[in-house]
Amino acid sequence: MLPSAGDVSWSAEINGVNKRLNIENNAILLDVLRDQAGSLGTKRGCDMGTCGCCSVLVNGEPRLSCLTLAAEVDGAAITTVEGLADGHHLHPIQAMFAECGGSQCGFCTPGFLVVTSALLDENPNPSDKEIKCAIEGNLCRCTGYQQIVDSVRAASDILTKGLQLEDSTSPKSDPHPGFSGG
Amino acid sequence: MSDRDEPEGIIEREIKMDVDVIEVDQEMDFENVSSEIADLEVDLMTEESSEDEMVGYRQQPGKLPFAKPGSGGKNRFSKPTNQEMIPESQGGKLTQPWGSHRHDGLVSGQIIGKPTALVDSHWKVTGQAQYGDDIRLPGELIGRIVRSPYHYARVLSINCSKALELPGVVAIATGADAANKFGVLPVTKDEHAMAVEKVRHVGDLVACVAAENELIAREAERLIEVEYEILEPIHDMRKGLDDSENPIHDRGKYHIGEANVQKRVFQEFGNIDEMASNSIASHKQNWLFAGVNHAATEPHAVVANWDPSGRLTLYTPQQVPHYVHRALADVLEVPMHQINVHRTFVGGGFGGKSDPFPHEMCAAILARKSGRPVRITFDREEVYWINRGRHPSRIEMNLHADEKGRICGIETDALIDGGGFASFGHVTTYYNGVLHTAPYEIGAFHYTGARVWTNKPASGAMRGHGAVNSRCAVETGLDDLAEQLEVDPITLRLANLLPPHSATITGFRVTSIGMRECLERVKKESDWDKKFRKMPLGKGIGIGCGFFISGSGLPIHWDPNKFPHATVHLKIDMDGGVTIHTGAADIGQGSDTVVAQAVAEVLGLPLDMIRVRSRESDTSPVDLGSYSSRVTFMNANAAISAAMQIRDELLDATVEITGAIRDKLVIGDRRIFAKNDPAVGISYLEALHKAQEDRGALVASGAYRTPPMGRTHKGAAAGLAPAYSFSAYVAEVTVDVETGQTKVDKVWAAHDCGKALNPLAVKGQIIGSCHMGLGQVISEEMKYGRGGHLMNPDLLDYKIPSVHEMPEVFPIIVESNDPEGPFGAKEAGEGPLLPILPAVCNAVYDAVGVRTAELPITPDRLLKLIERRCRKEGIKEPLELESPTLKYSPLQNVLAARASEHSQRDLDRRLDANRKPYHNGALFGLDPTIPPDEVDERWAVNVIPSKDYLTKPRLAGSAWRHMERRHRGDS
Repeated sequence: MLPSAGDVSWSAEINGVNKRLNIENNAILLDVLRDQAGSLGTKRGCDMGTCGCCSVLVNGEPRLSCLTLAAEVDGAAITTVEGLADGHHLHPIQAMFAECGGSQCGFCTPGFLVVTSALLDENPNPSDKEIKCAIEGNLCRCTGYQQIVDSVRAASDILTKGLQLEDSTSPKSDPHPGFSGG
Repeated sequence: MSDRDEPEGIIEREIKMDVDVIEVDQEMDFENVSSEIADLEVDLMTEESSEDEMVGYRQQPGKLPFAKPGSGGKNRFSKPTNQEMIPESQGGKLTQPWGSHRHDGLVSGQIIGKPTALVDSHWKVTGQAQYGDDIRLPGELIGRIVRSPYHYARVLSINCSKALELPGVVAIATGADAANKFGVLPVTKDEHAMAVEKVRHVGDLVACVAAENELIAREAERLIEVEYEILEPIHDMRKGLDDSENPIHDRGKYHIGEANVQKRVFQEFGNIDEMASNSIASHKQNWLFAGVNHAATEPHAVVANWDPSGRLTLYTPQQVPHYVHRALADVLEVPMHQINVHRTFVGGGFGGKSDPFPHEMCAAILARKSGRPVRITFDREEVYWINRGRHPSRIEMNLHADEKGRICGIETDALIDGGGFASFGHVTTYYNGVLHTAPYEIGAFHYTGARVWTNKPASGAMRGHGAVNSRCAVETGLDDLAEQLEVDPITLRLANLLPPHSATITGFRVTSIGMRECLERVKKESDWDKKFRKMPLGKGIGIGCGFFISGSGLPIHWDPNKFPHATVHLKIDMDGGVTIHTGAADIGQGSDTVVAQAVAEVLGLPLDMIRVRSRESDTSPVDLGSYSSRVTFMNANAAISAAMQIRDELLDATVEITGAIRDKLVIGDRRIFAKNDPAVGISYLEALHKAQEDRGALVASGAYRTPPMGRTHKGAAAGLAPAYSFSAYVAEVTVDVETGQTKVDKVWAAHDCGKALNPLAVKGQIIGSCHMGLGQVISEEMKYGRGGHLMNPDLLDYKIPSVHEMPEVFPIIVESNDPEGPFGAKEAGEGPLLPILPAVCNAVYDAVGVRTAELPITPDRLLKLIERRCRKEGIKEPLELESPTLKYSPLQNVLAARASEHSQRDLDRRLDANRKPYHNGALFGLDPTIPPDEVDERWAVNVIPSKDYLTKPRLAGSAWRHMERRHRGDS
């Protein structure tokens, strides 16, 4: 955080919702998202653009929010990890990161998710090389990336086949199988 | 039963009812009837059953049944038992080449062995998981830490007055606010919350401040005036061995000389001189390993809050919440029951979050002073100041092999650089030696180790704790021995393995060993025979093995004979869901998942019916935490033990309702039934409600504690574990001989984890370990400049591998079915890291014919070695160098014959219930059934160096030149 130089009015469409905030005119986008816009899913890993944990989409393009002045993106559409799911319907990329081991400790996951969702928006059927190039700016210390690439490939399969994933609030296992209740 | 009018009649009808259920069930599963038809059948069946009020549950005649809670599920029918998941010993089809297991009878075919998504993964992928810095409490203050700019200095005065005048500053604390020492090991408590007398490295904590926002806190940090008297620092670990005017710590009467030696170890097993004189091949290498950092993506963060009732809640991403709990009580002088340690989601630990940390104390102190919650979050740079990464080490490795190709001697001397504090260093010093005494049978073992304090950020525990560097030295040494003996390095290893159920030279009790299978699998799958020493210049292939503990046999804080290592509580109420209370810290490795799996398997429940509560010390039983790869082994065992108690109660209830014979009852998917007649049975919920009559929720507590084991010499407990994991990797590399750039192309990674409870997670651990080990071998290094400054405390200059550096990893899971592990499982988190380093080093040799003795193998270092080889061989262009070749000596056949003989020996031992003891030394003609030191005094354990040794000690061994103060009679 830099010394303050006065407040300005700032607006952006964050995850589809128009937000108008008073921010310091030299505020960093990551700080605005985490401290003012309530997007705690956007993570701070290094503050200098090396780890990719803070990646968000600005008008559909991946950006490192720790290296972006909020003023630069005034009026833009910003998507964070919280904006990927449609209600309780996870985005295929989210569901596959969970299913294929793409997320272990989960701290780098939001960054990977927004970056790969941008990739799949542009190219629903990427090659392994294209996947690797898309995530080259993101560091993960747990998975060794292999299961992340697997997850993206699996999500790409779902997207190209147009499968619909289940709502995460859908009914779970009946503890009393074979009976229809009292 | 007694309160029923017509017990027999009821049973008959129940059985009939169950037949109906099974039929519908089978139709659904096997004939894929449409859901509409299935629903129709369900409706029909419901009507039938509602006509008959007596069905299914104990009811008073004439009364309406109560509704059962918990309906509304979509999986209404239990799945038929999958015979492929039931072990052979239970009549199923799951083959068990390693024999049966004590938990076989508990297998319900639900989830053990199935790739399973982590139970908390949806929290992580939606951004809902709250890590340390995501805990935002109303009215929070931001804490910042004032850190030392000097390597070593005495703090003369701290003036906070200017900072306190700054509007928005609420509280400031210094070392005077917390005089009590703490540390992760009770024997080496040497840390303060903030400097009390001296600062010991750049970045050491001096004071801390809490303010309304970060900006004010940073300004206040600048305004705190500290007066220092600069002391002469030491940075070279070798200097730590000498006497100093100002030792970095003072250990009172236990201080070793006036030196900076924090811990020293001397261990002699067998007669190394005699063995060395018999050798026909010897390897000697002096290694220098750079320090590496965990570089977890989440920087440390903590939130402290004293609530209105005067209790402290500390929110922290911690691997060992219990140790923090203890340390807080000591430092704050508040009883433990007044503190709740809340583990948040942990954004990667790897050992880097396994100490109680001074900043955690600072947050608690500031919150107490200010009366408001305080949040402290580290910059990436501060992560390097707190460090606790792998020790920079100087290791001298000597290996000897005799004419029979036996490893007749290992002499290791390890000097490790502990930085400013002890941390786990006491243990690390032992681990550098004792963890390379297996998986091979050894003629003699001699280890000298020392850990010194230097004025650098403290080293500590990191994935593969203490074993990684010395393992790299041993395995590359074996490669060199094989080269000298002109044999294949894999054959050399296969001919020297300890058998299962044996004791190592240091007396560790090893149970299951899958080493042989690991070696054979990677050899086959990498096409080793066609590649090794046969590839062109610049292409190489190499082998490396690993051996690691699966949980430490000694809990750090208490007598293992009195308290268990792990405790798990279960609670099941009327809804049928199972709540697990455990203190195991899920740091992303999936400990919540594995504990849930263990319970789900025993009780025959789907994972969505299990809830894990592992976050708060208020509600969780005490647990040691996530280190030493103990969680799967110990917590899953404790969870199984608790679930077995619930299972017993459910079976009793089933007997009471159905009248079936108890021994015949088995648990399947949400259903308990007779094995011989699956139609006889009731649903899980029915049995549960029966068991709950007159008492309410079922609760159970299970515990695990290691069996007594090991020898009694000083240090015998270090490295003791209830089981050990084994691994073998083959790495294939490409080296650019003109630039020295190494690229690892492929890794075949076989790991013996006993039994993969969750193969998805095991593979993730193997690949992730490759990533971390690969970083250490090719690019990661904490670089200290000439003045001792850390030059790369950020992720730009500290290079962890990105996706482009990662090789293609082929994870191979070997399951050796450990007799004491939960369902046969052992660890998979740390062991898989060890082999990647030597495998890459050996592959580099295969590619360009030079052996490196310094990690990481950066291009400049490797190029120097290549140029040196060119000069030596009088070759101008590196491209004209010859790639190493190998022509087998007659010894190769001898070793191959011994390996195949031992392969049969191991198979026999594995399945023989009446096997005799096997102690290391049988290969050298000793009686394997008696510990060698009991029959031959030359094998006696020696832990004090002789005068003779001290006339010519090795580097770390020279720490023994000093005498402890208490023995000098001057204190």
